[in-house]
Amino acid sequence: MLDLLQSASDGVLYGATYALIGIGFTLVFGVMHKINMAYGAASVGGAYLGLMVLKLGAGLPVPLVFFGSFLAGGLLGWMVYLACFHFIPLSSPLATLMSTVGMLLLIDEVIVHTTDGMPQNYPALFDDVMLRFGEFTLRGDLLLVFLVSVACMAGLLALLYRTRLGLATRAVSQQAIAAQLCGIRLAQVNVTTFVITGLLGGIAGAMIGAAVGTLSPLLTTPLTVKGLIVTVIGGLGSVPGAIVAGLLVGGFENVIQLYRGVTERDLYVMLLLFAFLVFRPGGLFAPAGGRN
Amino acid sequence: MALLELQGVSRHFGGVRAIDGLDLEVREGEILGLIGPNGSGKSTAVNVITGLYPPSAGRIAFDGRDITAAATHRRLSEGIARTFQNIRLFGGLTVWQNLWVAQNSARDRAARGFLSRWMGGQSGAREGIGKLLAFAGLAGREDELASNLAFGEQRRLEFARALAAKPKLLLLDEPAAGMNAGEIADLDERIRAVRERGVTVLLIEHHMELVMAVTDRVAVLNFGQKIAEGTPAQIQAHSAVRKAYLGGDH
Amino acid sequence: MDFYFGLAQLIGVHTLLGLSAYVVLLTGQVSLAQAGFFAIGAYVAAMLTVLAGWHLVPALGAAALTGATTACAVGFPALRVKGLMLVIATLAFGEGVRLFFFNFDYQIARGDVKVGPLGGEGFRQIRFFPENGWTTLEVMLFIWIFVLLVMALLWWLDRSRYGAVLRAVGEDELAAQSAGINLTAVKVSAITLGGAIAALGGGLYAHYATHIEHLSFGILLATFAIAYPIVGGLASVFGTLAAVLFVQGFLVEGLRDLGDWRNLLFGALIVLAMNLRPRGFLDAGNLRAIKRLFWGGGRGAP
Repeated sequence: MLDLLQSASDGVLYGATYALIGIGFTLVFGVMHKINMAYGAASVGGAYLGLMVLKLGAGLPVPLVFFGSFLAGGLLGWMVYLACFHFIPLSSPLATLMSTVGMLLLIDEVIVHTTDGMPQNYPALFDDVMLRFGEFTLRGDLLLVFLVSVACMAGLLALLYRTRLGLATRAVSQQAIAAQLCGIRLAQVNVTTFVITGLLGGIAGAMIGAAVGTLSPLLTTPLTVKGLIVTVIGGLGSVPGAIVAGLLVGGFENVIQLYRGVTERDLYVMLLLFAFLVFRPGGLFAPAGGRN
Repeated sequence: MALLELQGVSRHFGGVRAIDGLDLEVREGEILGLIGPNGSGKSTAVNVITGLYPPSAGRIAFDGRDITAAATHRRLSEGIARTFQNIRLFGGLTVWQNLWVAQNSARDRAARGFLSRWMGGQSGAREGIGKLLAFAGLAGREDELASNLAFGEQRRLEFARALAAKPKLLLLDEPAAGMNAGEIADLDERIRAVRERGVTVLLIEHHMELVMAVTDRVAVLNFGQKIAEGTPAQIQAHSAVRKAYLGGDH
Repeated sequence: MDFYFGLAQLIGVHTLLGLSAYVVLLTGQVSLAQAGFFAIGAYVAAMLTVLAGWHLVPALGAAALTGATTACAVGFPALRVKGLMLVIATLAFGEGVRLFFFNFDYQIARGDVKVGPLGGEGFRQIRFFPENGWTTLEVMLFIWIFVLLVMALLWWLDRSRYGAVLRAVGEDELAAQSAGINLTAVKVSAITLGGAIAALGGGLYAHYATHIEHLSFGILLATFAIAYPIVGGLASVFGTLAAVLFVQGFLVEGLRDLGDWRNLLFGALIVLAMNLRPRGFLDAGNLRAIKRLFWGGGRGAP
C-alpha cells in the first residue's frame, strides 16, 4: 500500500511536466486547430540550449540554466512558427502537419549532431533533500519540478484570464472570424501563442532534465507521445484538462511501472488512451460543442 | 398525401431553441416554400430533416416510414436530397465525378450489383450523367474541376448533384442567394422542370419574388415555430407574417 | 550490383508503406498507424515461415489478412474521432503495437537453437530466402511484383467510382454524407485496405531484412509512411513512388557521402518542400501538364 502511494505521488509530481507539454499542444490546437508535432522536440531542444549557459560560464547558478532553457524554448517556438506555419496556407492542413513532423526530425537530428548522440548531464536542485513522513518520502528535486511547473501553469492561467492578450487568445480559439472582426490580429495571436507555448516547453524540458538528471535525444519521442495522449485525455483545447490529465498520466504510469515493470509501462498508458477514445472521446473536459 | 411529415420536432443548442415543436407537412408533388427571418430556424429545419442534427424531440416520417433516427446517408437513399446555402461541392473532383459519386439512390442500389456500382468505370454511368449535365447546362464541361467553375455554374452543379440521387423530395436551401435576376429566372424554370418530373420540392428562400412565383404553398417560421401556412396570396396578406418580417404593428 | 538490388528492395517495400498511407489519406484521414500494421505484417509473415514452415506467398497472404482485420477493428472506434484526434489515436496505436512486440516472446526449439521473436532482442534468423537459395535479384523482382500489383490495383481504384467516393469524403465529409455516402463504411474500408497493404510490405521487409525488432517500427517509420504521399502529392499513386525514389534513392543513397547529415537534410527538406509546395510534388494541375506532354494535346482523362 505504501509502495503504491509512494509511486503514485512520485508519478504525479513528475506528471507536472507532462501537463506542461499537454498545455502546449492544447493551446496551439485551441488557437489554430493544428497540431504542432515539433513541440516535444522543441522543448527538449530548449533545455539543451539552456545547458549552453552552463557550458559558457561554469559555476553559474542552476536557476540561470533553467531560465536559459525557458528563453530558448520561446525562441524555438517562434522559429517553429516561422518555418512551419507562417508561409503555409491554413487551407493545407496536411502541409502544416507534415512540416512540423519535418521540424521534429530536424531538431532531433541537430541535437544528435551537436552532442554526438551522447546524453548530457543536466543539473538538478535540491536532489539531496528528502522530505520524510514516516516511511513515505517526497524527493526534493521532484518537488521542485512540480512546484516550478505549477508556478508556470498559474502564470499561464493568469495570462489567459487576466490580460488583454489572454482575452484575445481565448477569443480566437472560440470564434476566430468573429475575433478578427473585433480587430484582433490573427497572425499576432498565432505567433504569440507559439512563443508562449515555446517558453512553457523550455521550462518543461528543463524540469524533465532536472528530474531525470540527463538530457538525451531519446527523450523527444516518448515526450511527444505522452504530451499528445495527455492532450486527448484532457480534451483537445482544454487547458485545465491538460493539467489534470498530465498529473493523472504521470501517476498512472508510475504505478503501472511498480507492478508491471518499465517495459510494459507505456503499453498500459496506450490502453488508458484507448479506453478514453472509446468511452469518452471528448476527453475529461471536452469543450462545449458549438452549432457547427 | 403527405410525403414528409414533421410532428412536434424540436432542436435545442444548449439553451437556444433553434426549432421548437415544429409541425410541417410536405405533400407529394407540391412545391412548398419555407420562409422566415434570419435565425428563425429554417436551416436548422433542413439539417434536422436530412439528419445532420438529431432532433431533441418529435418525430419525422418520410413516405410513410419513421426516419427520426435514420443516418444522413440512409435518408438520401430513401429519397431526400439537398443543396447547401453556401455551396458545398467536391472542389478537387471533376464536374463528372461530382455527379457520379452522388448516385446512391435505393433504385441504383437495387439495379446494379455491388461490384459494378463501386468498382465499375465511368462508362456504366455515362447516360444518366449526360442527362444531368444537360439539365444543369454543363454539357461539355465535365472534365473541369468543380472548384474552377463560376459561381452560377457551381450552384447548377450542386442542384444536379442532388438530382443524381433520383430523390422524391428535394430540399433547396437558399438556392437564389447571390444570384442576379436572369439567373433567378433560370432557377425558377429549373425548379418547375424538376416538379414536372414528379419530384416534390421544399424551397427555403429569402427571395420573396421567387417564392411567391414558384410555390404552391408557403409555411412561415419565426423563433423556431410555424406562425402561418397557406397559399402565397394568403401569406402575403397575413398579419403575423408582416409583423415577423417588419416588426412593430404594421 | 547487389547493392542496387538491395536498394530496389528497400524502395519497393517503402513504396508499399507509402501507398498504404495514400489510400487512407485520400479520405482526408491522417493515419500514423501504418508502421503498426507494417510491424504486424512483418511478425505474422515471419512467424509463419520460420515457426510454422509455410511458404512465403501464403504467409504474405495471411499477413495482409491480419493487417486488414486489425485495421478494420481499429478503424471502427478510431474513426469515431476526427481529424487531429485521429492522428493522435493512430500514433498511439502504432506505438502500442511496437511496445507489444517489445514485450512479445514466442520461441520454439529448432534443433539446438531457439527461434522466434524474443522481446527487445527482436526476431532473428528469418531465413526463407537464403534457405531456398534466392538471389538478391530474385528477391528484388519478387518484391516488385507485389509493388506493381498494388500500384495497378490502386491506379484502377482511382478510376472507379469507389476512388471518386474516397476523394469526395476527403474533400467534404458533410457534403459526402448528404450525397448519400456512408462515411463510416468508406473510411473503414480505406483503412482496412491500407492495413492490408502495409502488412504486405511488412511481411516482405521481414524476409529480406532477415532480422526484425520493435525499434524499426517506431514513429520515424510512421512519419515516413505519411511523408511519402504528402510530399509526393495525392493526385496519383505515382506521386508516392516519386517521393520514395527521391527520399530513399537520392537522399539516403545518392548522398551517401554526407553520412549522418542526410537525416538532418531530410527534416529540413520536408519543411522546405511543404513551404514551397503545400499540395506535394504532383498535384492535379501538373499531373495534367505531364499527361499533355506525353499524350499530346488531348484533354487529360479525369
